[in-house]
Amino acid sequence: MKGTRSFLLFFLPFIIFTYIAFIVFQQACDYAMNVQAKKLLPFNHQTHTTQYGADCELCHSYDANGRFNGIPTVAVCKQCHDPNKVNNATFFAGFSDTDKPWETFAQQPDLVYFSHMAVTKNEQKVQCISCHGDKGASKTTAKIKGKMAMGVCMDCHTVTNVSNSCTVCHD
Amino acid sequence: MAKMTRRWGMVIDLDKCTGCGACNIACSQENNLPIFKDDSDVPKRVTFLDLVEVTNDKDPKAQYPDVKVAYLPKMCQQCSGNDPNHPQPPCVSVCPVVATDVGEDGVVSQIWSRCIGCRYCQVACPYEARVFHWWKPRYEGTFKKSLNPDVSVASRGTMVKCTFCSHIWKRERDRAIANGVTDINAVTYTPACASACPTNAIIFGDLNDPSSPVYEAAVQKNPRAVRLVHSIDELRTKDPSEYEKRLKIKDYPNPKVYYLTSQQWLRDKISGFKNS
Repeated sequence: MKGTRSFLLFFLPFIIFTYIAFIVFQQACDYAMNVQAKKLLPFNHQTHTTQYGADCELCHSYDANGRFNGIPTVAVCKQCHDPNKVNNATFFAGFSDTDKPWETFAQQPDLVYFSHMAVTKNEQKVQCISCHGDKGASKTTAKIKGKMAMGVCMDCHTVTNVSNSCTVCHD
Repeated sequence: MAKMTRRWGMVIDLDKCTGCGACNIACSQENNLPIFKDDSDVPKRVTFLDLVEVTNDKDPKAQYPDVKVAYLPKMCQQCSGNDPNHPQPPCVSVCPVVATDVGEDGVVSQIWSRCIGCRYCQVACPYEARVFHWWKPRYEGTFKKSLNPDVSVASRGTMVKCTFCSHIWKRERDRAIANGVTDINAVTYTPACASACPTNAIIFGDLNDPSSPVYEAAVQKNPRAVRLVHSIDELRTKDPSEYEKRLKIKDYPNPKVYYLTSQQWLRDKISGFKNS
């Protein structure tokens, strides 16, 4: 019994240190991925997709050269929601694009070249839902799936017989 | 989707080359290569495309009016080994972590994030085309704000090299897919050095395409064509039996970059072939 206790006491500093380090790293990752938006826009994905019949690409669009346009700006909201209406005007007055009102799902590191167009448009093998989770049914902008490790990409590449060599995504 | 079975190659016409160095600068700018205080330190300089000065002034026969100088744009030669269908460049077989590999289009890739910095490939490369990041990349002044967003900056202790601007290939592939095209040609995909060359000395294209100016079968018949330190090319016409014999016992680099020159002294210097 005494042996077990001293064993635990010996490892206690390591356990505490690991726990603290884990919290610090998690906070740092959340900060880097902009999980906590500065000013959260109360956006409901579910009502937009079910009641108003919007698909993902209405707001999350592609550029003409096939690049993903990124998180939509507040100006995209104003295309449908008339900003001159009294209710909307007071609401939109509180937000501007510099606020970063959205939580982002994930940012790929600099050394990854990922093209949404190449993955989704080619043979329609991949839907938005396969990587991002069922975002259309969510009622917030919070991310559903957290980490997106390289293994997730590689599994899909293996199944669909797409080349798994490093150059496909990295340069 | 039609498979992109291109085989990218390059032809550099040294008779047109003026040695201005625009290719070197365009390459460094495109690939976010760092600038260090003393970049005259050649072994530790980080540059993909090196301008090599070649002169015949060591030749005892060359007298004053005949002393000549040529500038050789030397980048990764994208070797393919003896059999281009099963490419085996010297650097790929020595890499212990598969950081460098040959793609379907024959371009030898280099992934710095996978590299462990053992520098075997640098030793194996017959052209000294690979460079090692001895220091953390640094940029002068506001240069960092103008970095190319398509290219990641390699960290210290990794190997980097020319990949025929593979990020441009990826970018143009995206643009093609957006337009519903599944094949890209050399018109849309051109490395930075080739597009920067003011005299069109560097021509980039598909070695397998008969309509391309760099069609390999046509270039090999060109009497001006020569490959860098690839002495076996001379034997192909002079002594075919010896040529076949040598191919069986040794794996030659068989690079995909051809140099064109009409000057015999330069041909001798480049090919390294000696009539003994």
